[in-house]
Amino acid sequence: MRAVRALVRKDLLLELRGREVVPAMVVFVLAAFVLFRFALGGDRLGGGVRAATGMLWVAVVFTAILGLARAFAVEREHRIWDGLLASPIDRSAIWAAKAVSTFAFLVVMQAVALPLFWLFFLQQADGPSFAVLIAALLAADVGIAALGALLAGLASAGQAREVLLPVLFLPFAVPLVLVGVQVSIGTIPPQTADFGTVRELGFLALYATIFALLGWALFEYVVED
Amino acid sequence: MSSPDAVECTGLVRRFGEREALAGVDLRVAPGEVVLLTGPNGAGKTTLLRVLAGVIRPGGGRAAVAGHELPAAAAAVRPLVGYAGHEPLVYPRLTARENLELYAALYGVSPEAVAPALERVGLDGRAGDRAADLSRGMRQRLALARATLHVPEVLLFDEPTSGLDEQGRALLGRLLGGSQAALVATHELATLAAAADRAVRLELGRVAA
Amino acid sequence: MAVVLAATLMPLAVAMIFFYVPTDVDQGYSQRIFYFHVPIALTTYTLFAWGALNAARFLWTRDMRLDLKSYVPMHLGVMFGCLTLVTGSLWAHISWGVWWYWGSTELTTFLIIFLFYCAYFMLRFSVEPGEKRATFSAVYALLGVGLIPISVIAVHTAQDIIHPITFSRNGANMDGSMFATFLVSLAALLSLAVAMYCIEMRGKRIDDRLKQLRRLAEASS
Repeated sequence: MRAVRALVRKDLLLELRGREVVPAMVVFVLAAFVLFRFALGGDRLGGGVRAATGMLWVAVVFTAILGLARAFAVEREHRIWDGLLASPIDRSAIWAAKAVSTFAFLVVMQAVALPLFWLFFLQQADGPSFAVLIAALLAADVGIAALGALLAGLASAGQAREVLLPVLFLPFAVPLVLVGVQVSIGTIPPQTADFGTVRELGFLALYATIFALLGWALFEYVVED
Repeated sequence: MSSPDAVECTGLVRRFGEREALAGVDLRVAPGEVVLLTGPNGAGKTTLLRVLAGVIRPGGGRAAVAGHELPAAAAAVRPLVGYAGHEPLVYPRLTARENLELYAALYGVSPEAVAPALERVGLDGRAGDRAADLSRGMRQRLALARATLHVPEVLLFDEPTSGLDEQGRALLGRLLGGSQAALVATHELATLAAAADRAVRLELGRVAA
Repeated sequence: MAVVLAATLMPLAVAMIFFYVPTDVDQGYSQRIFYFHVPIALTTYTLFAWGALNAARFLWTRDMRLDLKSYVPMHLGVMFGCLTLVTGSLWAHISWGVWWYWGSTELTTFLIIFLFYCAYFMLRFSVEPGEKRATFSAVYALLGVGLIPISVIAVHTAQDIIHPITFSRNGANMDGSMFATFLVSLAALLSLAVAMYCIEMRGKRIDDRLKQLRRLAEASS
């Protein structure tokens, strides 16, 4: 536990000093929203709020992939892996720490993205319930961070790693986006949050749990040489 | 009953894909003994040290550190080993102190051990400087501090002299002169000969006769 | 042995599908694609389960032969998967007049799994052959095991987006001859898959042995 905390602290310190990942993610999500706004028709929003909500989830997933690409970059570039692997900590602790710091970065990114989303797509229209949206995004973030930390380890071993991570991740993103969009558009007036919403949020929690368990169990195989 | 060998390998094998890095290494390091590991580049010195440190698994044969078999008891081996690799294994954007604090947490060592460790390697004045801002020799000293922070029983050093200045070499000599066993891969036989008990030469993944 | 079984069952299945089973009242003659599509899909899932099982065994034992035994079913699964998508598309056209029906839970679940298969191969191609590639493939295959229930639940949960359709016609209340045909077809395709597995395994083993002999020859010369 102390090891996980120390590793998370290391990741947060490095990000504060380097400012590589989070600013890039914020700029990316902003650019994505601009693109999507125009792709959906500019002044007159084609597809309405439903389409825009879907686009929010797409933007979140792609931005997350961008952030994950740098997940183990420092360890790789400076060959620090050996230092971590020679130490007595559980390999899974490395995964857990990376998942926690990734979650933190995702939350920061979404804290900026949600107001932007409102500004770009929702100003005059009734949108999904922000309470539900935030809950859904937080649950999804856990799943993305857990799975992403594992996949970042997998992808970093291969040749074309920048291309590989998106390819490995996207099949897993489909169920996430499906239900994420479902739960979000289910709260666009005149619909309101109901039992179905709870069930859908429950799915996102299930997703997070399953991939957290798998990530914790499988990471040690990913770091072996 | 005498204590087990610090290092014991019999027929140790390790491949990477098609390439055989270790082709049957037989080696023994007694407790407290300091053994130099020499040989040309690509002979397998780094691989051998990485296997013994529990960083990578052995491919076949037998390897044991301080009586614990690898890979079965790797978790027992790692706290006992002080591994210093080719690279300093420190985070460039963290300060010297922060790097050691991280490793202290990873090794279950009290954070109070960090300041004395920095003093021992002569970096107490630069504790607040980022590792990237330190000179090569200082980074190497930081690496040695990192490797010995948890007072290991067995030292596994890979080219520890690279970049070290006079002061650094003296420090290394002091570290090797302690009671721990050490297996040190090096090209600089002359520098370390005084601190060592014997030397073993590795060629093409085997101990040369 | 499996080849013999496949060779007998496949023509039998085809015959039954085209001649024995009564014509469907609503969809006519071309509904018979169902007897291909669903068994092919089930075979694909079976191949995937087999590949994932061997992946887990590989991680447990580190026996490189299990890597091959995991990879080959996954590989065959992609081939059968393509067939599933093609027959699924045909069936969508027959049933609903479109070449792909986005509202179908089965088709969507399958598409997700198929995407996963493709990603598996991308991973495999990007790592050098050896224990590392075997380990990584096994890890990803096991992640896929988590993906299947997740996909099924997700697709059924997202009901504003995907409307589940009832398969009463083709579900449990198939009558005797339809059910028999379905079973024969399923058995035929499974034995076809097993036969292809055996052939491919034998081929890969010979290939490996050849490489080994070549290496030995080079080393001694």
